[in-house]
Amino acid sequence: MERLSYEEKGVFLQTLHTGVVLVYLGVLCVLALLFSHPLYLTGIFILGALAVIVSEAVEKWEMYLRMGIWMALLIMIINPLVFRTGKTVLWHGPTVPVLGKLDICLEAICYGAAMGIRLLAVLTVFCLYNAVVHPDKILSLFARYAYKSALVVSLATRMLPAVARDLANAREVQQLRGVDYGSGSLRERVRKHSWLLNIVLSSSLERALQVAEAMQARAFGTGPRSCYRRELRRPRDLLCFTAGILALLFSLLAKFKGYGDYTYYPQMGKLVESSSSVIWLGIILISLSLPVVLSWGWKHCPYLRSKI
Amino acid sequence: MPVSERRLLIRVGLFLAVAAGLLLLGVWKNTSLIARNWGLLAALILLAALVFLYLGFERRAVSAREIGVTAVLGAVAAAGRVAFAAIPGMQPATFVVIVAGFVFGPRTGFMVGATAAVISNFFLGQGPWTPCQMFAWGLAGITAGWLGILKPRVGRTEMVLFSFAWGYLFGWIMNLWFWAAFVRPLNWPSFLTTCAASFPFDTLHAAGNVIFTLLLGKTFYRMLMRFKRRMTVSVLPAPAAVPKDSDV
Repeated sequence: MERLSYEEKGVFLQTLHTGVVLVYLGVLCVLALLFSHPLYLTGIFILGALAVIVSEAVEKWEMYLRMGIWMALLIMIINPLVFRTGKTVLWHGPTVPVLGKLDICLEAICYGAAMGIRLLAVLTVFCLYNAVVHPDKILSLFARYAYKSALVVSLATRMLPAVARDLANAREVQQLRGVDYGSGSLRERVRKHSWLLNIVLSSSLERALQVAEAMQARAFGTGPRSCYRRELRRPRDLLCFTAGILALLFSLLAKFKGYGDYTYYPQMGKLVESSSSVIWLGIILISLSLPVVLSWGWKHCPYLRSKI
Repeated sequence: MPVSERRLLIRVGLFLAVAAGLLLLGVWKNTSLIARNWGLLAALILLAALVFLYLGFERRAVSAREIGVTAVLGAVAAAGRVAFAAIPGMQPATFVVIVAGFVFGPRTGFMVGATAAVISNFFLGQGPWTPCQMFAWGLAGITAGWLGILKPRVGRTEMVLFSFAWGYLFGWIMNLWFWAAFVRPLNWPSFLTTCAASFPFDTLHAAGNVIFTLLLGKTFYRMLMRFKRRMTVSVLPAPAAVPKDSDV
């Protein structure tokens, strides 16, 4: 707990205004939940993956994917177990108390697979968030609207490594006194670890009072707060913000026209029902890919870098 | 009715109106863009609930000491996730949040729970689970606060049952969004199947809560009560001026 999940790498998306990154990632997340068509979900997942690659966060993404694949498998198991009105029955199973007759159908497995892709797309967006948004930046953004909550979170974030160090220190001291944390029954081990929590709580509460006194000494709560903006607004922010909003508008329009949805039950529809569906997907993906393209250009084209 | 209670009722009413509006959009006859999209609707309602709960904390006059203690308790709850990483299923975070809510009240309880979720994930990695954890731990703190108000002298057995129940409730709240977004159809058998998948983890969580309450409950309660008394600063009226001899 000494290091944040965020790492400063100087990549393009890290240089954007926090509000713009939040809008872009929010749009990606909403679109992953809005559409149910497998092609649309795959498109969003691939775009998220490209953004992760240009943000140099592949290592982190692998961890998310490893966890996501297990969760996706769970989705693929649960759906066929509970939905059996599909027309293509693959296996007639026995009758189970709560679930009824276990008929595994192809449609439910495919729905589970599509939802698995949706989950991986959402996880990719969150991985991207971890890679490009510094906690301090987001806290300073929220501090303007909810300063008390933001203050609690920033204080706690600063204290967490200190509390973790206190825990390690207390553990070392106990070990020197002969406490073996690896031995004993579960009950004994829990008891030994609980002492640590006790020690840390008492020392941390003292620290809380010191912090409060320091805040009071700096006139906390005596009058209206002032705040200043340190983040710049550059052409790149305007471009990426417009791309995100346009993608959202195009998606809503496509959804309104009936694209982006897919019939899984009782029988699966055609993957590509009309060329318009693919054209709308293309338009949405082109809008969404602008930050990824700019990111690549920012890295490889000094002229573009100087202009945005 | 006191002003604070009226404000609370207005906020609860507003939230219910927002949630009802979103649900209405969900069942509207395919005309709305998010009709039947329960995953997106559940996420929006969850975010709305968090916004209204944070508003409750923002609108309240909070002293520097309260902010300090809330932050520290959030950090201790989050650090507990690391301290007990060696023992599977043992998560003291829920226990710390419950005791904090019980002693300091529902609002502080919510803040400790929500803060513990956010800050631990700054280090462990944010995910779609973060808002669910914020909500679940926040709700654990709120209900513990209500318990503290309704029954300040709660017995050990009741506290053990309360923390045991939160082991399962936490898991079920975490399952709710997963179920709404990724499972069809949305009925009791499908929810029970989803909960069955998390049952072993929820049982370990509940057992851990019981063990922590039995081992540390009393000590933590006393320690926090002592701090609550230290935090409370009452301003005494200025003493009446003593007449000097020369004035007599």
